[in-house]
Amino acid sequence: MQASVGDRIVIKGHRVGEPERDGEVIEILGSDGEPPYVVRWGDTGHESWFFPGSDASVQHFEHSS
Amino acid sequence: MRTMDAIRRSGVGVRPDQTVREAAVLMEQTGVGSLAVIDGNRVVGMVTDRDLVRRAMARDLSPEARVDGVMSTPVVTIPADADLHDAFALFRDHAVRRLAVVNGEHFVGTITIDDLLVDLAADLGDLVRPITAETIFGHHDSAPPATR
Repeated sequence: MQASVGDRIVIKGHRVGEPERDGEVIEILGSDGEPPYVVRWGDTGHESWFFPGSDASVQHFEHSS
Repeated sequence: MRTMDAIRRSGVGVRPDQTVREAAVLMEQTGVGSLAVIDGNRVVGMVTDRDLVRRAMARDLSPEARVDGVMSTPVVTIPADADLHDAFALFRDHAVRRLAVVNGEHFVGTITIDDLLVDLAADLGDLVRPITAETIFGHHDSAPPATR
């Protein structure tokens, strides 16, 4: 997985009826966009390190230079 | 199968100085039941929802207490490229429910007994299916080879 700052991380629900979770990549800790990432989750602004697994995807956005 | 290929869920990590409250909120927001506690690049502990109940709530600990005060240590680790059978052995020998998967010293994810049980159940289902079919529908012999 590769991501850029500002991209959206989406974790799919693991059980029927469980919602998707999403957060914003605010820092890339790996090289060349590789994980781990620092992600800000939801609307509370809490941050964590994130190590994506097969349940996660990244939504890229165009970044102005 | 390599251990890292059996990881089903993304890993979430916190710094040792983040709070118990933050740990609980992050579990809720990311849908995980355990967080890796990471100092630098090294995993120094795991904090589970059970840890938060037993070591924080039950002892009336402040929600602003540091998360490394309630984490479980030592962490049992397994290399990311280790054979999955090595994980079985570690679960057996250490009586833990989750292992930290590492690449060198760097944390890359968590594998749980649940992950292995799901894989085992799928494998068992594949093995049982032809036997079940044979039990229900009878055995179909192939034609004998032609003889001269």
